[in-house]
Amino acid sequence: MHKDCDKHYFKKPEFYRLTGGNNYVRIDAEDKVTGHGKYVGDIMFPDMLTGRMVRSPYAYARIKSIDTSEAEKLPGVKCILTAKDFEWKSKVGNGEFAAEFADKDVLCSDLVKQVGDDVAAVAAIDEETAQRAVDLIKVEYEVLEGVFDPFKAMDDDAPEIQWEGRGIHNIGMKSIMKAGTDIDEEFKNAAYVQHRNYKTHRMVHAAMEPHGAVATYRNGEYTIWMSTQMAYVDQFWYARCLGVPEKCVRVIKPLVGGGFGGKLDSYSFGLCAAKMAEITGRPVRMILTREEVFQTTRNRHPIYMHIDTAFAADGRLLAKKCYHVLDGGPYGGSGVAACAQSTLWANFPYKLNSVDFLAHRVYTNNPSSGAMRGYTACQVHYAHDLNMQYAADHLGIDPIEFRKMSAADPGYVAPAGLSITSCAYKETLDTAAKEIGWYERKDKMKKGEGIGFAGTGFVSGTGFAVLEAPNQSSACVQCRLNKRGMVTLYIGSHDIGQGSDTVMTAIVAEELGLQMNDVKTFMSDTFLTPWDSGSYGSRVTFLAGNAARRAAVDAKRQLFEVIAPMWGVMPTTLECLDGKVISKENAELQMSMADAMFKYMTVKGGDELVGVGSFYHRTDNSQYNGVNTTNYAPAYSFSTGAVHLNLDEETGVLDIDEFVFAHDCGRALNHRAVEGQLEGSIAMGLGYAIYEHNVTKEGKILNPNFRDYRLPTALDMPKMRTFYDFTPDDEGPLGAKEAGEGSAAPVAPAIANAVNMATGIHLTELPLDPEHLWRALHGMKDDRNTNHMPEDDAVRERYMHPDD
Amino acid sequence: MVLPNFEYMVPKTIGEACNLLLELGKAAKVFAGATDIIPPMRDKAFTVDYLIDLKHIPGLKYIEYDENEGLKIGALTTLREIETSPLVKEKNPAVAHAAKVVASTQVRAKATMAGNMCNASPSADTPPILLAQNAKVLVHGPNSDRYIMMDDFFVGFKKTALEPGEIVTGIVIPPLGEGESAAYIKHAVRKAMDLAIIGVAVKLTMDGDVCKDARIALGAVAPTTMRARNAEQAIIGRKLTDEVIVEASLAAMNECSPISDIRASAEYRRDMIRVFTKRAIKQALEG
Amino acid sequence: MSKRVLSFTLNGDPTEVIVKDNMTLLDLLRDKLGLTGTKKGCEQGECGACTVMLDGKPVNSCCTLAVECEGRTVVTVEGIARDGQLHPIQKQFIDKWAMQCGYCTPGMIMSAKALLDVNPHPTELEIREAIEGNLCRCTGYAKIVEAIQAAAAEMNWEEGK
Repeated sequence: MHKDCDKHYFKKPEFYRLTGGNNYVRIDAEDKVTGHGKYVGDIMFPDMLTGRMVRSPYAYARIKSIDTSEAEKLPGVKCILTAKDFEWKSKVGNGEFAAEFADKDVLCSDLVKQVGDDVAAVAAIDEETAQRAVDLIKVEYEVLEGVFDPFKAMDDDAPEIQWEGRGIHNIGMKSIMKAGTDIDEEFKNAAYVQHRNYKTHRMVHAAMEPHGAVATYRNGEYTIWMSTQMAYVDQFWYARCLGVPEKCVRVIKPLVGGGFGGKLDSYSFGLCAAKMAEITGRPVRMILTREEVFQTTRNRHPIYMHIDTAFAADGRLLAKKCYHVLDGGPYGGSGVAACAQSTLWANFPYKLNSVDFLAHRVYTNNPSSGAMRGYTACQVHYAHDLNMQYAADHLGIDPIEFRKMSAADPGYVAPAGLSITSCAYKETLDTAAKEIGWYERKDKMKKGEGIGFAGTGFVSGTGFAVLEAPNQSSACVQCRLNKRGMVTLYIGSHDIGQGSDTVMTAIVAEELGLQMNDVKTFMSDTFLTPWDSGSYGSRVTFLAGNAARRAAVDAKRQLFEVIAPMWGVMPTTLECLDGKVISKENAELQMSMADAMFKYMTVKGGDELVGVGSFYHRTDNSQYNGVNTTNYAPAYSFSTGAVHLNLDEETGVLDIDEFVFAHDCGRALNHRAVEGQLEGSIAMGLGYAIYEHNVTKEGKILNPNFRDYRLPTALDMPKMRTFYDFTPDDEGPLGAKEAGEGSAAPVAPAIANAVNMATGIHLTELPLDPEHLWRALHGMKDDRNTNHMPEDDAVRERYMHPDD
Repeated sequence: MVLPNFEYMVPKTIGEACNLLLELGKAAKVFAGATDIIPPMRDKAFTVDYLIDLKHIPGLKYIEYDENEGLKIGALTTLREIETSPLVKEKNPAVAHAAKVVASTQVRAKATMAGNMCNASPSADTPPILLAQNAKVLVHGPNSDRYIMMDDFFVGFKKTALEPGEIVTGIVIPPLGEGESAAYIKHAVRKAMDLAIIGVAVKLTMDGDVCKDARIALGAVAPTTMRARNAEQAIIGRKLTDEVIVEASLAAMNECSPISDIRASAEYRRDMIRVFTKRAIKQALEG
Repeated sequence: MSKRVLSFTLNGDPTEVIVKDNMTLLDLLRDKLGLTGTKKGCEQGECGACTVMLDGKPVNSCCTLAVECEGRTVVTVEGIARDGQLHPIQKQFIDKWAMQCGYCTPGMIMSAKALLDVNPHPTELEIREAIEGNLCRCTGYAKIVEAIQAAAAEMNWEEGK
C-alpha cells in the first residue's frame, strides 16, 4: 500500500505558491543556453580513446570470417572486439520477466539480421584511426535472402529470423485483448458495420543529439555515461552481457538531447565501449554518426491494421474487432511491449460494449522497430480515428457530436479493465471545435478547404516497471534536509529534455514551501540515486512526481512531529509555506525552515532529516504475459487536435494555417512546460503526417540524413494554439497528468480528416506528402511502399490464426 | 566522421589557382563555400589529394550592374549576399529569389552561385534562372579568359564544359529590358532546407500581350538543367491566354525526362513540370 | 598529412593552434579547444546544431574547414555573455522556456544573434527565416521565436536608454 497516512500532510491547493503558472524556470536552462551543460559527447578525458562499430552492409547474411589482422597492425589501434569477447554471456532484451527471450547478440557471431547489425568494435587513439581500422577489418559474408514484408514473414516458407525451429513463423509477440459482451451478437444486432484497412509508415525519433556512450573501467567497476532514457535498465543488461553483478556497473545519465523512445534500448555500442575500456584500461568514447542513428537504433513500427466496427442506429459505438500487424525488424527489445500497447489504444477514447483485438509483432529484416512517442498510439489512433470519421461521414453525423456520443466519461471502466479516473475528453472536443471556429465555418468551406478533428487517449504513467521490483514500484525518491533548511533531492527519473528534473524540484519545493534554489537535485546515477525505471509510458510526472511528493511529505511529517509538540498542537495542523513552518490554526506560531530543522536535529541528536517516497501503480505484467485485461495506468490523458488547411489540388501541397490543440493533462504544473510539450507534439505529429518517411529498400534506409528525411523547419510550422488546464486528477501529483506523449497522436489523423473534408477522399495511409495526396486525387495507388494488409478476408484470417 | 586526408592550398591570384589546378589535375578541386564539398567527402562520394581555396583571391567578390551588360556577380559572392543585395532585388528579383531558396541561411552564408553552378547538380536552384536568362559564365583559363553561355555550360550529369585548369570567375546576367521579366519557382516538400522536386524558371519578353521571346528552363527533370524549347515555341509570337499557357506547360511536361528517386516519382515530377511551368509563366507575366 | 598553424580570433581572443588540413572548425572547437557548447548533430550541414558566427555570419562549423578561418573571427555560444552577464537572447531563452533538450539551443542562439546584430527589428517571418537551418525536435519552434522577439525588444530598449 501507498503510505496513505501521509496524505493528511499533502499540501492543499490553496497553499500552492509555485506550481500552476509560470513561476519558475528550468533548473538546467542556464547550462543549456551557455553551452556549459554536458551531454555525453561533451565528456572528455585526457587519455580517452575513440570507439567505432563495424556494421553489416547486408540485411540478412551469414558471417563466414572476420579478419582483423590488418587493422590490428595499424598504429594507434588499441582494441578490436568481436563476438568471442561476449561469449557465454547474455543477449540483450528489455523486460526482465522475459529475459530468457532476449534476442540480440551484442556482436553477431553467425547471422547478421539487419543492415547495420553489430559485427565488431574498434577503439583507437583518435577518430581518424578508428575509422581507418574499421575499413581494414575484412568480413566475409554469405548473403541470404531476407524477408521484408511482415505478411510474407508469417508464411511457412519464410526464413525464420529468430527462434528457428520453434514454428512461430516470425511472430515474435502476440497480443490478444478480448472482453465484454458477446461480440458476434453485437455485430449481428448492429445497425451499421464497417470493415476498413489502414497502414502507417516508418519514422525515426531523430533526437538532435546522436546516441553515445563514454565508458571507464576502474576498481573492477564499469562507469558508463549514456544518452539513455533507462539508466537502471541499462545497468541490468550491461551487467548480464558483461558477465558481472550489477554492483559493478554504474550508469550515469548526463544531459540528454532528446529521446522520444529512441534511447530506451540497451544498444551494443555502449556495451562495446564498456568492454573496450576494461581491456585497454582507458576511457572509451563511442558516439554514433547520424547515419548510424537512422539505420541502427530503433524506428517507429510500421503497422498494418484491419478494423471491423459495429455501430448502433444512432451512431453509438458498440463493438470493435481489429487485427494489427507490426513490422518489428529482427529484434525485440523495446518493441515487444508495442504489440500489446497497440491493442490498448484501440479502446481509446471511447466506450465499447465488446472488444476483440489481435496484434502480431513480426520479425523481418527491416530496421528494428521500438518505442516511439506514443508507443504505437500515433499509428493506432491514426487508423482508428480515421475509422470513426469514416463512420461519421457514412452516417451523416457531425464529427464532434459523433465522437462525443461514444466518448469516455470520468469513472468509466472499460470491459478490458481500464479504469478511467479524471476525463475531460468531451471538453477537449468542445474546446477544439469552438476555437477552430467549426460551427461558423463548416458550411462556408471553399473547394480544397478543410477542417479536421481527431480525438485520442493515452496512459498517464504506465505501471510496467520493466525490471522486477518490490510491489512493481518503479519510482523512488529521497529527500534530505540539513540544518539550514536546504534540501538535497535524489531522484532516479530521467530528464531527457522534457524538463522532469525541474518538475520534481518544483513539486518538492512546493510541498516544503521553499524556493526552487533551496532544492538541489541529483539525478539518474545508478550508484547515487534511488531506483527508477526510466522515461517511457508517460510515467515520469505521474509516478516519479508522486514519489517526489511523497518523499517531501515524509520529510514534512517527521519535521512536524518534532515541532508540533513544542507548540502544543497536532502535527497535521502545520504546513510549510514561504520558507517557514506555520500553524494553519494559529498565525502566531511560525518558524523559519532553518530554525525548524535546527530544532529537529537538536532533538534527534544531530541526525539530518531524510524523507523517502515511492510510487507504484497496482498492476502487473499480465498485459504482456497472458490475459490482457488489466488497468494499464493510474490515470489517462485525453486530447483533441483540430486543424484548418487548404489543399493545392494540383500539387498535393497542404497549406496548414492553424492547429488548435486541447489536451486534458489535469492540472498543469508549469504552463510554459506544458505548452512546449504540446507545440512539440504538433511539430513531430506534422513530421509524421506529412514530411518524414524512412524509405527502405531490402532493409536499407535510403535517406539516413536530414536532407531527405525531412524534419519540419521553423518555416513549416503553422500557427498553434493550445488549451490544457482541465479538471485536476485526484491521484496525480498536485493534480497533474501526462502532457507530451499522447498529445503526438491526434495530429496526423486530424490532418487526414481535414483533407477528407477538402476532397471527399478517405485516406488510409501515411505519410500525406504532396505526391501521396496527388496520387490520391488522381485515383492512383501509392505503390512507393509495397507491403499491404491482405484485402481478402480468407487470406487475412489465415495470418490471424497461424497454427496456434 | 573525419574527412579523408588532403592538402589545403591557398592561391593568392587567379593565375596561381589555374596553374595549380592544371598541374594537379583530377587530384585537386577548387572550392569557395565548401558546403557542397565537405558533405560528399564525408560520405566518401569522392576523395581528392588537394583542395584549393579560392577565397583569398582578390577581386572575385562583387555585385555590379551595367545598363548594357546587366548584373555581374563575382565567383566569391555568396548566395546570402545575392539574396539580400538591394541591387539584385531591384534589377533582377528572380535571381535574388532563386538564391534565397537554396538550403538554409547558414549554407547560403558560405555557398556561392558559382559553386552552385559548378557542382552541376540537376536539382540545383540557381542554374534554371541563369539558363532562362541566357547568362554567361566568365572563365579564367591557363591560357586565356573566355566565357561560356549557360546553354553550353552543362554537358552531362554533374559535368560542366570547363576545361582542365579553368576556373569560373563570375556570372553575367543580361539586363531585363522593357517588357522583360523573369521568375523561378522551386517545388519542394519543405519551405527550407530542401532539394527541389522540380524547379521551373521563365524569362519572357513581351510586346503588349504578345510574347516576343521566351526562355524556359527546368530543374531536376533531366541529367542537367534543361531548356524547355518546345514550351518556348508554344508561346513565342502568341498572345499569352490561359489556353496558350496550358499548351506550353503540356509541351514542357512532354519534353522533360525525369527519373524516379526517393524524393519523387517520374510521373509526379512530370506533372509538376506542367503545373509549375504554367505558374511560372503567369508569375513572370505579373512581373 | 598536412598541418599548419592557424591564427584567428576566437570569442574575442587571439588564438593560435596547430590544425590538420582536414579538420573541421567544429572538431577544432570541440575536441582541440574544449569548447563543447557547439554541438554535433549531423555533420552534413543539415541540422544547424553546430552554428557559429564566422566574421559575423552564421555558418555550419561542420561544413567549414578550420584552415578556412585563418585571420578571421569566430564567435561561439561560449563567447556571447559579457562581464558575467548573459546575452539578452540567452536570458530570454531561459525566461520563455525556449528549450527542452537543449541540443539545438546553442546553434539556435547563434543564428538569432547573427540576425539581431544586423536586423534589430525583425518580423516574425524574418526570425523564422533566420533559424530555417536550425532543426529543433522538441519545441515546435514557437517558444524560440517568442524568445528571439523578446530579446530584440530588450536589446532595443537597452539601446534606447
